[in-house]
Amino acid sequence: MKINGVTIDDTFAEAFPMKATRIIITAMTLKWAYRAANALRGFASSVIACGCEADIERELKPSETPDGRPGISLMIFAMSMKDLEKQIPMRVGQSIMTAPTSACYSGLDSEVQIPMGKHLRYFGDGYQISKKINGRRFWRIPVMHGEFICEDTTGVTNAIGGGNFLVLGKTSRQVLTACEAAVEEIKKVPGVITAFPGGIVGSGSKVGSKYDFLSASTNEAYCPTLKGQVKSDLGDDIGSVMEIVIDGIDEKSISEATRVGVLAACSFGSRKGIYRISAGNYGGNLGPHHFHLRKILK
Amino acid sequence: MTPLIFTLKIKPQFSLDVSELTPDKLAKKNKTQIKSLKLNYGKKKVPVTDLFTITGNDSENVQILRSCDKLVCVGQGISHGTIEVKGNVGDLVGQHMKGGHITVNGNAGSWVGNGMSGGRIDITGNVEHHVGAGKPGDAFGMTEGFINIKGSAGDRVGDRMRRGIITIHGKAGDFCGSRMHAGTILVLDKAGRNVGTGMRRGTIILSKQPKHIVATFKSNGNLKMQFLRLLFTQFVAMGKEFTKFKNFDPEVHRFSGDLARNGKGEILILQTLNLKK
Repeated sequence: MKINGVTIDDTFAEAFPMKATRIIITAMTLKWAYRAANALRGFASSVIACGCEADIERELKPSETPDGRPGISLMIFAMSMKDLEKQIPMRVGQSIMTAPTSACYSGLDSEVQIPMGKHLRYFGDGYQISKKINGRRFWRIPVMHGEFICEDTTGVTNAIGGGNFLVLGKTSRQVLTACEAAVEEIKKVPGVITAFPGGIVGSGSKVGSKYDFLSASTNEAYCPTLKGQVKSDLGDDIGSVMEIVIDGIDEKSISEATRVGVLAACSFGSRKGIYRISAGNYGGNLGPHHFHLRKILK
Repeated sequence: MTPLIFTLKIKPQFSLDVSELTPDKLAKKNKTQIKSLKLNYGKKKVPVTDLFTITGNDSENVQILRSCDKLVCVGQGISHGTIEVKGNVGDLVGQHMKGGHITVNGNAGSWVGNGMSGGRIDITGNVEHHVGAGKPGDAFGMTEGFINIKGSAGDRVGDRMRRGIITIHGKAGDFCGSRMHAGTILVLDKAGRNVGTGMRRGTIILSKQPKHIVATFKSNGNLKMQFLRLLFTQFVAMGKEFTKFKNFDPEVHRFSGDLARNGKGEILILQTLNLKK
């Protein structure tokens, strides 16, 4: 299968179950909502070492937020409820509560809830106030800028992490340009995030290592500098590989994100140095969710 | 399906208890069973057919027409469905209500929402005393839910209320929010004397400065509070009458108290906009 001269490998991305929540961050201005959101999603690129994967889903108009102020919708994925329960209060407390004029609300209506303001309220040292409005409980925590408003809990849903595709091309500049275009298209799909910096992974990993203390290490089969030295998956024409990892609410959203992302990358074509699209998997043994590239792009 | 309509056909001389005419109690009853119901009228039990003409069949949507202030306990204990009353009603509207929606197109008596733990009550006219308040002997007043009064209310609004929201578009009487445990009261016109006396927690929002505030409240100065932005934005979704709160971001003068009860409650007096203009 070829799109615009770009070969689509007959392979699949292998993804695994995760737990996800969506939170809404508002502030007096969109600039401060972004600053809070960027702080929260910092060091949240991969569960391998960060505890969770998080990214901005989209900007929200004032009419879409609970307090009528500009906001950001942010999604956070973790391997288990326990991990999410640990990460949410920690990240909201240190990144959102500390940002002036910010507030934090649940963006996911679900029967399963995990604590958010429920834990953070203790920062109020006894001066915190609870308010229940329209069946939702909010905490008013007195802080130096006024009050930090935080919803008591946030909803959790089953989700999928690790959807991915690889863009293989001639030079790093060409591959990066194609990947940037892919990420821009993926951003338009609701319910998905690309948690790595700028949505692009420059150092994709394989499971395990020759070193016992490492759970993941460089994916040598896709390292251009190791061609000839290891069993490489790269042809002579490939000088750079980058990966786009997609976490999403369900298979449908990840499939759609993969589709629009691959098409955007392929739009540059082989004439602009994009030669192949592939995907990362572990032989189908690790995750139950398989995203077959050719099937998605049919 | 058409709403189940009870049209009053007498002029009651005594209190008429209509607590049987709720979606909960009428559910799964056929027309014959409904017609065989008996209501407390004064000291007697009287067949419902002697008091009302009955039409319609949807027990989830009950209507009471030609109502008057002798009808008491409208919507007592309902947990779902709607009750719409056309005309005035007596005391205890929505007593022990758990859910659903009661609308009274007229005035109501005292103890609206007594013991209420969920749902919504809308009164288009005025109400008497003790809205959302606890009766003597009750631990608390309302513990959840929303009471929206488009007219004015009497004394002791929200006395000992535990949670929930009361909005009064007109005036409130004396001792508004007295002994509150928590919850929110919004008064969009004048409130009487001794607002918030003895409150432990909770929020009373007034659009006009009351004549006096009890000495055991401490001024915290003028503030812009994010919480109000949230509250008023949420109000906008609650009905047309709240659209005036869209993008409403007022400055308030905050008083905290009642310090005589080690209280952490607050009285917020809107400074930036008089909505009644």
